[in-house]
Amino acid sequence: MVDTATPQILPDIEQDEKSKPESELEPGYLVVCWNDPVNFMEYVTHVFQTVFGWNKQKAEHHMMQVHNQGKSVLVRESMEKAEHYVHQLQKYSLHATMERDK
Amino acid sequence: MKQIKGARGRLGFQIERSEKRLLLEVLQLYPMIPADHQKLSKTGQRDEDQQLLEEALAEQRLENRKQLEAMLNARNRFRKIKGKESYQFSLKTSEADWLLQVLNDIRVGSWLKLGSPEKTDDFFAALSEKTAPYFWAMEVSGQFQMILVHALGKHS
Repeated sequence: MVDTATPQILPDIEQDEKSKPESELEPGYLVVCWNDPVNFMEYVTHVFQTVFGWNKQKAEHHMMQVHNQGKSVLVRESMEKAEHYVHQLQKYSLHATMERDK
Repeated sequence: MKQIKGARGRLGFQIERSEKRLLLEVLQLYPMIPADHQKLSKTGQRDEDQQLLEEALAEQRLENRKQLEAMLNARNRFRKIKGKESYQFSLKTSEADWLLQVLNDIRVGSWLKLGSPEKTDDFFAALSEKTAPYFWAMEVSGQFQMILVHALGKHS
């Protein structure tokens, strides 16, 4: 006779989130874009507008920061969201990383 | 290549025969950026996160390559203009944005092949018979990128 499996209660997403270390859920990660001599300024502005949904003025402000200061902190997010944004920016071949905010 | 009026919210372009050849030729180089080039963090990251990033980017590039093949092989992508040595084609804004990603991969990848020169002098120092094709790819992809960026900027 085939055993009837005991129903298993699997953790849902909410429970999974709860099990994550608090540090990963806190907006303690900076998404940084770094300067390079190859990406066009207009292109970088376009990417910021597309990825973050910013208006042109805000996107240009961050692009100019990258250009003049060598980098710009774009957003401060949880680990998961920061990873998502870094991946999006790298899809466009921008030099972007996420750094722990100290 | 220049922007012309596009129908139904699409971006329209007119391209000369010689430019079309250049565009198709440069697109054949995709992808050029090595999978392990991009780093998740400068100040240390977990190996598994870096590996996931590389896998995701590699998957994305594979998908882009397939999409590119489909685009290059689409019969009616470029329509010849009667009596002229030029063609018309149109792109949805999402396609233009995607094509920008592809072209920039070629541009940045070519720059990496040149040894990532920082200044104009370094670019010229890197120039040789062997590296000349990378200069060509960088410049050609850049020219098409600028036309697409301006077209998308005007459209939004």
